Amino acid sequence: MFTRRQFLTRTLRGSSLVALGTVVPQFIAQTARAAAPGKDRILVVVELAGGNDGLNTVIPYADDLYHKARPTLRRTKDTVIRLGDHVGLHSGMRGMQALWDQGHLAVVQGVGYPNPDRSHFEAMDIWQSADPKRATPTGWLGRASAGIDNRSGGVPALHIGPGRLPMALTGAPGGAVSVGDQNSFRLEMGRGGADRQADRRKLLGELAAPAGGPGEYDLLSFVQRRQVQTLTAVEDLRDLLEGPNAVRGYGGGLQQKLQLVAGLIARGFGTRIFYASLDGFDTHADQASSHQRLLAELADAVGSFFQALKTTGHDGRVQLLTFSEFGRRVQENGSRGTDHGAASCLFVAGPAVRGGVVGRHPSLSDLDAGDLKFHTDFRRVYATLLDGWLGCESKAVMGDQWGHVAELEPKG
Amino acid sequence: MTATLLPLDKIDPVTAWQPWRPSPADPWGRKWAGHLYRRAAFGPAREDLTEAEQLGPAGILDLLLGGRPGADETLRTIVDIGQVAAAREDGEDQMRSWWVYGMLQGGHPLREKLVLFWHNHFATSIAKVHRPGLMFRQNCVLRDHALGRFGPLLQAISRDGAMLLWLDSNSNVKGKPNENYARELMELFSLGVGNYTEKDVREAARAFTGWHTDGEGFRFNPGLHDGGPKTVLGKTGSWDGGDVVRVILEQPATARFLVRKLYTFFVSETPPPDALLEPLCESFRKTDYDVAGLVRTMLASRHFYSDHAFRRRIKSPVEYVLGAVRAVYRRYAETDPEYRPLPQQVLVPRVTAMGQSLFAPPNVKGWPGGRAWLNTSTMLERANFAAALATGTLWTVPPSATDTAADAAPPRALDPARLPAEERATRPEDIADALLDLYVPGGVRPDARAKLVAFLAAGNPAGAALDGRVREAVHAVLAMPEYQLA
Repeated sequence: MFTRRQFLTRTLRGSSLVALGTVVPQFIAQTARAAAPGKDRILVVVELAGGNDGLNTVIPYADDLYHKARPTLRRTKDTVIRLGDHVGLHSGMRGMQALWDQGHLAVVQGVGYPNPDRSHFEAMDIWQSADPKRATPTGWLGRASAGIDNRSGGVPALHIGPGRLPMALTGAPGGAVSVGDQNSFRLEMGRGGADRQADRRKLLGELAAPAGGPGEYDLLSFVQRRQVQTLTAVEDLRDLLEGPNAVRGYGGGLQQKLQLVAGLIARGFGTRIFYASLDGFDTHADQASSHQRLLAELADAVGSFFQALKTTGHDGRVQLLTFSEFGRRVQENGSRGTDHGAASCLFVAGPAVRGGVVGRHPSLSDLDAGDLKFHTDFRRVYATLLDGWLGCESKAVMGDQWGHVAELEPKG
Repeated sequence: MTATLLPLDKIDPVTAWQPWRPSPADPWGRKWAGHLYRRAAFGPAREDLTEAEQLGPAGILDLLLGGRPGADETLRTIVDIGQVAAAREDGEDQMRSWWVYGMLQGGHPLREKLVLFWHNHFATSIAKVHRPGLMFRQNCVLRDHALGRFGPLLQAISRDGAMLLWLDSNSNVKGKPNENYARELMELFSLGVGNYTEKDVREAARAFTGWHTDGEGFRFNPGLHDGGPKTVLGKTGSWDGGDVVRVILEQPATARFLVRKLYTFFVSETPPPDALLEPLCESFRKTDYDVAGLVRTMLASRHFYSDHAFRRRIKSPVEYVLGAVRAVYRRYAETDPEYRPLPQQVLVPRVTAMGQSLFAPPNVKGWPGGRAWLNTSTMLERANFAAALATGTLWTVPPSATDTAADAAPPRALDPARLPAEERATRPEDIADALLDLYVPGGVRPDARAKLVAFLAAGNPAGAALDGRVREAVHAVLAMPEYQLA
């Protein structure tokens, strides 16, 4: 944990930071105010990109219609991790069995929204913006970060991954930060004497600094903010990644990403919204082996994430949510795969979660154009997590007041 | 500058697209030549700006649209090399390097810019296709049609081997259609969301049944083709894929979708009202989707040479890296002792790390572009590349520990510290202006210029120390906010 003084020294150490203009004093003020170790609750969101086959994730093994619809992909009673008399988890998910056994895993079934879109991009944007009408250009987590007391070094939300910032995190005041796993997150200066470093860093900061003016147009100010933010986050994260007590496990797959998140949480980094993704769920052909591998990667990563948090004593203030843009069609296709579908399942994990199966499994006889029908709007899940867990008014984030999913209210 | 700018919806669409003429108040010069070169090419070298100033806007646009004399000949050689590159065991990396070479030295940067546009439009990734040879062939198809007509391009891409693998066409068979290609064809390649129905997708998928690949090229499999009648976009017939493409090309939505996308690529990332694009859409339809004509109209227009377009885009990684290299590198005559070839292969991992792995877009929607290019991670990559290019460590592979400590100079052809001598600038103000005039023609915020001047002046460096200081200044200029804008 950092003391207020350590935060300030660390922040002011780089001479470039002193000169960064209007953004930085605010950032320092924020840091100073928040330097006391927070006991704030944290939400980690894991995106399963490509459209996870929910029907082969939470499997209605006792339903004959399931076995009929999935002649080659079906999983039997004996191979699933049974969650009760009707459904069970895919056998690849043993990594999450401990969470289930301890009552730390909520399995939410039949999640979706009206008139589901079957395009990856549209559906992904709908989930990430929380707006099926597609009228909102920003993400639900980005908007939420505005209403959350942010105790981190100016990083309201952190995306761990090499790609672009996910839409879910866009719209955060000050911008959410992406940490790629390809770069070492060091500001390089190329060739030149060590005595020149300070002056050169100072110039980088000065050229990035906002000129101060409503006269500047949007795009330039946007780049300036991004640059200031980059220079500050670099300083801050360097310390956590390469300092004397560096966070281990940086780089690589979902497991490593979540280990980095666990380390950052343990080190008191202060960000309250983390986002990582696992890609490859668009299983149109020969689904069985790749889906097994993906679910195992997910479950192992999530299982070991909470183990790491437990070791450092932070597990109680973390909840993890998974989602995918859609489920897949009930009937498997001719290529031993599945095509784009609609309603699906999701997971909420953590010691503060009331474990159990939430909602009934959608009917396999009452379908919508071959797809499962939803009964739980995903915005109700969001609202429950925002109001109940993050303490952030969900109506301000989503425009409407959505009812909560009672089973997902945190314990106690 | 924005205070007096007319809102986009108040602009007269007809006059906006009329050819721009320089005037004493708004003359042709480095600002606009640099602007044109950033959009129609991969940024200007110093010699390009000098040439463009002499040729004027019409002359330089002709040169850009037609390519340099001999570019056709060069292309034949480049294509031969590409074939060899793609066939190598490390074909994937070889091809990236090969294409970057073509962009930088192929003599026809506008054509390559459009190949990049189409690569992003018909975004296909080697991550799934796996075969460099097929990716190479698709790249050639895109090049053949880059400045041609959209109809033949859409027909060709519908039969392209890499595309057929990419969107699972082999599993699209009579009775069990796979909708992947039919959906993306309508959603991303032609009509855009909202201009077709789910039923159109399903019916179109039937028309494409049996459109398969043998792993090399297109192969029609009549036994697996559904020959029955289909209704797509309100028209019915016993159609195959080619007919579906034809029906799509008859839809006004197709021109609107493409014009908007090309506008974003060439003119501005600020979304325009439909009305502003309508004259372009109309002539695009009337000319049977003549891409070169559309691009010429855009790049010659009053709207293009206005503050509505100037620095209204964020550079993609390819534009950022290649533009910086073009400004730093001087191509001496091969007989000149200062001549150095440009080792373009070291640029490829840099572009990739900034989020644009050529031949491997993130998905079929391509790179989202615009502000999405800049996050903390990619911004840092840009700054680190700028340092390596400006101080020369980019070219020394691998840079040794002693090397970075020393004040060693890069070869003159790759040394940005040449510029003051070339421009005969000695005072810090003049050196700063020479740098800004080459790297960010059109100027920067006055206080940023003042900081740069002070940086160059501090301690009155001379000789090798001044050269070192200039390189440090170029590093900062390449990292500065204005430089991120195209």
